Amino acid sequence: MKNVLTIMRKEFARFFKDKRLVLGTLILPGVLIFAVYTLMGSAFNDSTQTYTVKVVHSSSAFVQMFETGDGGESVFSFEEAEEEDADAICESIRSGDVDALVVLPENFDAILAGGQFLPSGSAPEIQIFYDSTETSSYSAYNAIASVLTAFESAYGSLYSINFTGGGDLTSAQEASAEYYAMLLPFLVLVFLYSGCMGIAPESIAGEKERGTIATLLVTPIRRSELVVGKILSLSALSVLSAVSSFIGTFLSLPKLMGQGYGDAFAAYSVGQYFALFAVMITAVLLIVTLISILSSLARSVKEATTYAVPLMILVMLVGVSSMFFGAGGAAWPVFLIPVYNIVQVMAEIFSLRFSVVHFLITVASNLVYVVLLVLLLAKMFNNEKIIFNK
Amino acid sequence: MKDSIVAENIYKTFTLSAKQRKIEKSASGRKVALDGLSFSAREGEIYGLLGPNGAGKTTMLRILATLIRADRGDAYIMGHSVTKEAEKVRSCIGFLTSELKLEDFFTPDYLFDFFGRLRGMDEDAIALRKRTLFSKFGIDLFSQVKVGDLSTGMKQKVSLAVSIIHDPAVIIFDEPTNGLDVLTAKVVTDFLSEMKEQGKTIIVSTHIFSLVEKLCDRVGVIIGGKMAAEGTIEEVCCGKTLEDAFFDIYKRTVQGA
Repeated sequence: MKNVLTIMRKEFARFFKDKRLVLGTLILPGVLIFAVYTLMGSAFNDSTQTYTVKVVHSSSAFVQMFETGDGGESVFSFEEAEEEDADAICESIRSGDVDALVVLPENFDAILAGGQFLPSGSAPEIQIFYDSTETSSYSAYNAIASVLTAFESAYGSLYSINFTGGGDLTSAQEASAEYYAMLLPFLVLVFLYSGCMGIAPESIAGEKERGTIATLLVTPIRRSELVVGKILSLSALSVLSAVSSFIGTFLSLPKLMGQGYGDAFAAYSVGQYFALFAVMITAVLLIVTLISILSSLARSVKEATTYAVPLMILVMLVGVSSMFFGAGGAAWPVFLIPVYNIVQVMAEIFSLRFSVVHFLITVASNLVYVVLLVLLLAKMFNNEKIIFNK
Repeated sequence: MKDSIVAENIYKTFTLSAKQRKIEKSASGRKVALDGLSFSAREGEIYGLLGPNGAGKTTMLRILATLIRADRGDAYIMGHSVTKEAEKVRSCIGFLTSELKLEDFFTPDYLFDFFGRLRGMDEDAIALRKRTLFSKFGIDLFSQVKVGDLSTGMKQKVSLAVSIIHDPAVIIFDEPTNGLDVLTAKVVTDFLSEMKEQGKTIIVSTHIFSLVEKLCDRVGVIIGGKMAAEGTIEEVCCGKTLEDAFFDIYKRTVQGA
């Protein structure tokens, strides 16, 4: 045990006394995540923008819905339009001159004032046309849809929004808030992987390449002590790198979601933040041991980096998998699949569909995989063909 | 005098790659590095393993240092088996070869402490030993300079100090003076003589005849993984110079085979 600590102390000294390593693995990931996410958030939640919206069969009740409570200026400028101009307006939405077209039912005011409860299916419909590739058009659509949805329930379903009746006027279908929730697990994985890549090959393949590991092997310490010391210190350093990424993600989330910090706190409970962090740690342990195994097979750092590329591609592919298969709703055995379970749990957390059972299965199974991989690595360190394959 | 190092019938083969197999024309795909090698070194003597490149000297020393395992046979250091009690063997040997490197990033001072701790020494013992060895080899002057910035000779001195930090009873040096200038080489050979005076058992491998003549009490000539001749310098030389005697032995062994 004492030897494990001695090894760890040396690994930490190696890391913290090297400014480039500290900058590259501890400071940059957090700063980069924060910068990228904040930039993305600002681009999609530009509150100073005003939207030009054409309205067919305009009504005063509709316009009132968008008036701000404090009498401030609305971000929408509504312009009346005739139904037969719809095609021309759609064209100007595509060209970016107009942000959206809302087609209200005739005598919308009267329907609301009448206050009759209509059987579902017969309620008058509202259609919204927009272009999701135009940022401002897409934000206008989101804003109008959310206001209308809120009023829909308030008015007791006097009208219904026909989301399919209107339409996205772009061919690019994928673009929504959900989309970014899907992107986050991938980005987190990318940053974690690069954090591990910055230190693990250097510490194992590098020591082999430079012949310094042999100097350790002629001391009376056990090979297993050396392996455990290495894995623990590399994981601790990678966890620090993960903490950096985590802080970056945490601080930029409110901006990304277009909310204040308070709202973000409300959106994710303390438990979910803890879960996110715990999942990140198991991800780091898993990635560190995998890269360490590849590094001990390699003769040099360069070779180790080459070996790690297929693994990286695999991890990245799994990272984007949540975009294709979606988050949540997966059966529990899915959470036994390493890496994929990490992506799924993160996607569940980001899309507010967190499941404690899935989280626990993920953490437990990943820890079992890590222990098995560490045992394998200790066996490899005992094998002269692997440790001296120069 | 008792035998501190005993090697009994050591066999060691290495797997050849497909390419090497063609060159060596070996059907089995294995190269025999050590072919039943036996010898022993006594307490308080310097034993020299002499042989051409590829004879198996380094392989033998690596087996003694427990870095690699023999296929068959066993060796004992201070009575501990290298195959069964590797950790005990490692705690009583000092092993020095040009293949064991020190991390460029650290200072000699830091590395000395680090290896002292891995050897299970307490801080006071490490500090005391550091003062002795650093002043003896003149490491004081560059103890705070990163190993990467040191010259070859300086590095070798640091490696030497680190390898004997725990005052081992058995010292195993592979080509101890290779690549060193005469001054540094003398530091090493003087050190070996001094260790012998203190009653340590020393085994060195080399292909430098003058080094063997000057230092070694007994010598074993290894050719093709086999012990071709063994004994004191006088016994092996039979009145000739060591160089001439070696050529005779070499001719006899290779032609006889």
